[in-house]
Amino acid sequence: MNPIQDLIRTRKVIVCCGAGGVGKTTTSAALGLAAASVGKSVLVVTIDPSKRLAEALGVDRNPERPIPVDIDGLIDKKSEGSLSAWMLDPQLIADRVVERFSGSNRDASTLMNNPIYQNVTAMVAGMQEYTAVQALYEFIHDDRYDLIILDTPPSRDALRFLDAPERASAFLDRRIFNLFVPGEGSAIRRMTTKLLEKVMDVSFGPDTRRELQQFFQLFGGLLSHLNHNQAEMRRFFGGEDVSFLLVTAPTSAALEETQFFSRRATGELDLDVAGVILNRSLTHCRGWTMPIPGFHEGQDPVLSAAILKLRQFSLREQEMMEGHLQLKGELAALSGDKGWVFTLPHLGPDASTLDGLSAIAHYMADDENDQYEK
Amino acid sequence: MYFLNRHTLLISGKGGVGRTAVAAAIGLASSRAKKRTLVLEISYEESSQSALGARFGRPNLNEEALPIDDYLAIGRLNAKVGHSLFLRTILPSKTLIAAALRSKAVHKFLTAAPSLHEMGIFYHLLTLIQKTRADGTRKYELIIIDMPATGHTLALTGLPAILLRLIPAGPIARALKDGQAILNNPDLSEAWIVTLPEKLPVTEALELVDGLTETDVTVGGMILNRMPPDPFTEDERAVLDAYCETGHFFGQLTLARIRAAKVAMSDLKNRFDAPVLTLPEVVDTDLMTNPLQSHISELMGAES
Repeated sequence: MNPIQDLIRTRKVIVCCGAGGVGKTTTSAALGLAAASVGKSVLVVTIDPSKRLAEALGVDRNPERPIPVDIDGLIDKKSEGSLSAWMLDPQLIADRVVERFSGSNRDASTLMNNPIYQNVTAMVAGMQEYTAVQALYEFIHDDRYDLIILDTPPSRDALRFLDAPERASAFLDRRIFNLFVPGEGSAIRRMTTKLLEKVMDVSFGPDTRRELQQFFQLFGGLLSHLNHNQAEMRRFFGGEDVSFLLVTAPTSAALEETQFFSRRATGELDLDVAGVILNRSLTHCRGWTMPIPGFHEGQDPVLSAAILKLRQFSLREQEMMEGHLQLKGELAALSGDKGWVFTLPHLGPDASTLDGLSAIAHYMADDENDQYEK
Repeated sequence: MYFLNRHTLLISGKGGVGRTAVAAAIGLASSRAKKRTLVLEISYEESSQSALGARFGRPNLNEEALPIDDYLAIGRLNAKVGHSLFLRTILPSKTLIAAALRSKAVHKFLTAAPSLHEMGIFYHLLTLIQKTRADGTRKYELIIIDMPATGHTLALTGLPAILLRLIPAGPIARALKDGQAILNNPDLSEAWIVTLPEKLPVTEALELVDGLTETDVTVGGMILNRMPPDPFTEDERAVLDAYCETGHFFGQLTLARIRAAKVAMSDLKNRFDAPVLTLPEVVDTDLMTNPLQSHISELMGAES
């Protein structure tokens, strides 16, 4: 069985990581479709995808809850599977947390009306990733879905998702929050609070300072719940039901990125990195023909001239294919005994249409597929 | 004439479209036109290597503006530098400044609290824009900023409006208004969006135009990067298409890409009402000899 088939049949959560622009959202959606076509009921969770993918899946942006995707005609067999997609709005998740865990309704509404809070998810680095994990938390104890695929938020590098919860919790740290709330603790604590008040007063003015303090006081009260969820999720991510996939594209940085990612995820965080998906590769062109001008006797002279002009591009494509094959081998060598590399073809502009997704999903479902290497 | 008659250019676009290469090439072209030019990137992680610096053989570029030659300097915008510059101007006494800069709590607050990270970057940029020489003229006549990916770009350009709602008065508000007076003035500042001649990147670039317009930043135009050359006549194209139907041939992907690029370009021109410049696909090697720069020099001379 090809490794993707194995993965979508045995895991409960698959987390797709990767740098921006490698086709991570498309890959996640195609994985979901592939899993639905083998009878799974699947949820794909994604944050702020491109409009076109939302359109292709036929769902609204940022709905309140997951929306079923119409996959009739996209999957071959009469499968029992289903696909839902949820384009996540981080602010909405934060609101739910506030509603659920606030001490009183009054606290919840004061916090939700606080101007600092209203902008917090847009303003705190790592908050998107943090809320993505919170959203996932809602579903892991829920047996509506056999498989949840999490498409991590766009970022410059693939490691961001792994680091983000820590980055957000540097901000969401109760001890730091308490410093901003006056009137408690030791003399040194009170002096620090005074210094902070002074800095905030001259920087923002007293009104904003009071809003900040109100925010810190109320939101600070929720932190123990949030951090509890986060800690539980971290344990869950390390469990056997969860696998991480690295989505990458054939660039010069791919090798180094994979190396870093594996080291950090497997070595330091003890997560299961199942494999690497090398997207947009030309490895499927193995066996293609090199066009030769004047190859057939009596070839149309216009065609001969055109093939002659095409030659530089033909050679370039062949060279790229060879490069991608080599990269695939090198990535496979990096990925250890259990890991694998799965190449997906470059579909160009069609990749994120429904037909494109379906083509990629078929590719993932193909047992004869030789595009992977262990 | 493009680019040269502004004070600041924000070079924006999604990851992987060649934004840094374009920002650096505009910087080179402008400096060769004898404008005192500063190219900046934004460092989110202090320890990380500089993508901009790497193009000039200086991957360890830090926060100081580094002169490359008489007319060109490169540097990184950094929140921490901005914060300390800011604290120095607002706090009334040296003792307080020293205490604030030493305090771990203040430091944690500045790095972690909502928007203050962006505010630091914003303030650092503002001080560089306002820098003058002994004779009172601007130290840098043109500042080019290699903006981060879409979300971070809008967080930065939208910052003044959001923060001014929260903080209507005081020194932060004044700095924000000074910044707005430059960045939201179409005579002084423009954003240029780098994108690729493909369907999805074009759609996303148009979304970015809307986002930037909402934050009151004027979009000067788009740069369609890596436009594949099309050497074929219509007749040749027709016979090649027919030929490719008969099997799988190396070169057919490029043919499809050339066609898609032309469709994407005309689609963009139909939907976007400002200049669309194209840059050809070049092998991205050493920047100092990068052919992009000569293309941009040509565009700078072109009438707009």
